[in-house]
Amino acid sequence: MTAPSAGTVEMTIRFPYKRSLGPVIGAFMTGLAGQQILGIRNGSEVMCPPLEWDPKTGKELDHGALVEVGPAGTVVSWTWVPKPSAQHPLDKPFALALIRLDGADTALTHAVDAGSIDAMSTGMRVAPRWKAERQGHITDIEAFVPGEDPQGLDDSRPEEPVTMMPYNAEIPYTLPIAVNTARNAVALKEKRLIGLRCPVCSRTYAGERGFCPIDTTALTAEHEVQLPQTGTLTNYTIITPVQYPGQTETEPFARCMILVDDSDLVIGYQPVIDLPVEQVRVGVRVKLVWGDGDIEGWQPTGEPDVDDPDLVNRIY
Amino acid sequence: MASDDIAIIGWAVSPMERRTAKSEQQMLFEVVTDAVDHAGITRADVDFTVAGSCDYVAGQAFSFVQNIDAVGAWPPKRDSHVEMDGAWALYETWVRLLSGDIDIALATGSGRSSTADPALIYPMEMDPFYLAPLGADAMSFSALQARALLDAGKVTERQMAEIALRSRASATSNPHAQVSGAFDVDAALQTDYVRAPLRKHDLPPITDGAACVVIARADKAREICENPVWIKGFAHYSELHNPGMRDLLTSPSTTLAAKAAGIEEAPVDFAEVQAAFSHEEVILREALGLGQDTPVNRSGGPLAANPVMATGLVRIAETARQIREGQGRRGVAHSTSGPCLQQNLVCVLEGDAR
Repeated sequence: MTAPSAGTVEMTIRFPYKRSLGPVIGAFMTGLAGQQILGIRNGSEVMCPPLEWDPKTGKELDHGALVEVGPAGTVVSWTWVPKPSAQHPLDKPFALALIRLDGADTALTHAVDAGSIDAMSTGMRVAPRWKAERQGHITDIEAFVPGEDPQGLDDSRPEEPVTMMPYNAEIPYTLPIAVNTARNAVALKEKRLIGLRCPVCSRTYAGERGFCPIDTTALTAEHEVQLPQTGTLTNYTIITPVQYPGQTETEPFARCMILVDDSDLVIGYQPVIDLPVEQVRVGVRVKLVWGDGDIEGWQPTGEPDVDDPDLVNRIY
Repeated sequence: MASDDIAIIGWAVSPMERRTAKSEQQMLFEVVTDAVDHAGITRADVDFTVAGSCDYVAGQAFSFVQNIDAVGAWPPKRDSHVEMDGAWALYETWVRLLSGDIDIALATGSGRSSTADPALIYPMEMDPFYLAPLGADAMSFSALQARALLDAGKVTERQMAEIALRSRASATSNPHAQVSGAFDVDAALQTDYVRAPLRKHDLPPITDGAACVVIARADKAREICENPVWIKGFAHYSELHNPGMRDLLTSPSTTLAAKAAGIEEAPVDFAEVQAAFSHEEVILREALGLGQDTPVNRSGGPLAANPVMATGLVRIAETARQIREGQGRRGVAHSTSGPCLQQNLVCVLEGDAR
């Protein structure tokens, strides 16, 4: 078999979520902002952190039955994290522990800033060290520390109940580059539009595709064909940009399906050039415009539109 | 066998590597090709396909969509996907075949765990309010469970090392093992903790890999396969997510799944369990009711190769292989998902009576 990869590419995906908290977790987070740790009554037991329902029966708990627990508690299990990750609450070695707070019957997971693994033991007593700047988040407790006495107590209390929670994580990935992707990138740099023709069914696919989905046949360099750099716009959408993280567009823009001439290849999600959004329509004849090592978009050729009622169905 | 029984008729397991140059799509293409070949059919004979994979592992949203090209969806097929281990994908194919209108289905599990640091990926599977923001990952939670077992006197660090030693020694004969070979327990117990009380030998390797299993209804299985491996029972149960609210010394969901799968109906000759961390084998043996004389993970188990999202399906393929090769007539395969064995699946397999 030919070498299946042409190196790797590194990229980072961010997960910037905003989560709504609901009545019970919201009350817990509001409590944290005010340096209070809340549990919820479940029969004769108190659960901390609180849930909205009884995990054994699924029955909804009385959301008003919140009770203050702790602030100190007992470590019921622990591990030591010698090299913290970017997602951990502390940037020095710490213990991750299950802590049963005084007055609670379940354990809260949190960090213990003990300084050394030798300072950790099951059954040890710990108390919270509060952050000065609190927002209603599990990390408002920076960490627990050995002993009975909470640290960082102040008079700051939240003015409003906390209802939302930010969550930010990012994961750097290292992914293999498939040989077809690499060969296609070289072709694009050389301003060539290539396709891959299935040896079984003769359908043409985009140059980076790995397999013919009809025949489940691997597509390789020997199936490469040079394609014309002209085509017809078959379908489109006008996107009104929503300002989510990473969105750089501010005005409505078109993304189009282009049927490449002399082939059955439709290239999806293509930008158009010199074609205002109100003039984008099915049947426009277009030619490829090259950017720096990639397709910049497709520009009207000025030829008459193609009048074919089936064209709009060509989205793949 | 009754006509509504269902059997495994073919399977394939990919090479298990620390970092493959192949894409997930390429790995799948190969295991599906090998598995349908092993079953003596073609992709066109398959009526239903289910894939198990995870976008957070793949590093790509909707990564399973392009994987369809490799599985083969022409002529158009019934297809499904679970963001679970391939063992749950196989469970879905089994449930689907029980309805009786189609005969052959295949399930895949695939994952390239080498894409990113597991310590950064796996907090994404945790409770998003209380656990994920602390960067709590599966390995750290496993360490908390191991400590609970140690404190309760249910295992010792030496016994954990011996489980790892036994697994990796028996993996020597498994061509799909990534980590194998005996090691010196005394020396291993002198090494540093990775996540106390877990040392390197207690942890699974980071593995890229895939697996595929093909099943058929009884009449079709008899028609195309000389020695089908019968699915006698298949069940899964889940527990509460947050490990701080559970008894970490037992796995009641495993026991429930095992009973539902009929584990007690006859003696079990061997088991393949998804104990990715050495101490989990202790909990699972007890939860499955397996004695110390019942061989567990003769393949080496997840401690020899841990292709996340395929590890459980590999257990089922391994169980089928051992039955077909005569290493036992009745075997149990187990898979798990979530922190500290939160959700557990049990599949009971049998060969034909000899």
